Amino acid sequence: MPDARRLPRVLVVGLGGLGCPAAAVLAPARNVELWLCDDDQVDLTNLHRQILYRDTDIGHDKLDAAKAALVAAGADPEQIVLIRSRLLPENARRLVADVDVVLEGADNFATKFLAADAAHLERRPIVHGAAVRFVATAWAVSAAGAPCYRCLFEDIPPGAQQGCAEAGVLGPVVGFCGALLADLTLRALAGDATAFDALYTYDGQADRLRQVKPAPRPDCPLCGVSPSILDIEESRYINPSCAA
Amino acid sequence: MITVRIPTPLRSLTGGEEQVQAPGETVKAVIDTIEQKHPGIRDRLLDDKGVRRFVNIYVGDEDIRFLDGLETKLKAGDEISIVPAIAGG
Repeated sequence: MPDARRLPRVLVVGLGGLGCPAAAVLAPARNVELWLCDDDQVDLTNLHRQILYRDTDIGHDKLDAAKAALVAAGADPEQIVLIRSRLLPENARRLVADVDVVLEGADNFATKFLAADAAHLERRPIVHGAAVRFVATAWAVSAAGAPCYRCLFEDIPPGAQQGCAEAGVLGPVVGFCGALLADLTLRALAGDATAFDALYTYDGQADRLRQVKPAPRPDCPLCGVSPSILDIEESRYINPSCAA
Repeated sequence: MITVRIPTPLRSLTGGEEQVQAPGETVKAVIDTIEQKHPGIRDRLLDDKGVRRFVNIYVGDEDIRFLDGLETKLKAGDEISIVPAIAGG
């Protein structure tokens, strides 16, 4: 549970197509402290879906542009903390331990698995989001950590991951998913156990939101009966990243 | 008849169809039937050991890992969902 003496803290991993709308929804309410984690700069190809950025932000740090946009929309600048780094094996557990919920909208599998592992090891709830083309998924994992991201997807897929620029990501799809990630985050902070019940899949071509119920996997290396992942080891998270 | 919901990454194999229908008494039988009409889809879902890692198959809202796997029995009107791992945003 969040420390009652301070605002609840949300670590937003990735200020891309999912992190932008999620932060835009969360920040103006002023009831959470947002820790924004990214090291990238705004690129022209981001603008159609990463709604916090404008043409004049191109080439500038996403964090600065995001904070300016959020404050302009009503957020308290004191409630926005900028982490000028990617989530990395050397900082993941510390960052996750300092917040109450992780909102993960990373664009590559390595960061997704790293965030999942760190959240489980630090017993923090985590809300995972992903979007490619017309499809997005959103899923909240409880602090108890089972079922977890590895129960479902096991490990980083082999082979090169298709980049966002090649695959294409639609603005409305990430906008919808980002809002859903924010909703799940607030429900997790409020202790709403039903937030962890379902994995949501949104199909932007059919405008259909579907739910399935993930189940813990007994042989899961992270949350299973005999877990083998007991700490963050850098070699476990090697994967080419997608163009942000 | 069983309805199979096709995720976007696999729709190139189904001519863009977001769902296909096929007869079959088990998940494996349905996949085999779909393969006849949409060659290549089985390889995207299965390997020698069964369902590929990074792919999850559900009947209704139940993961077939926790049912009888590919031998999970189906009844008319059941819906199969395929949820692959995706990263992006």
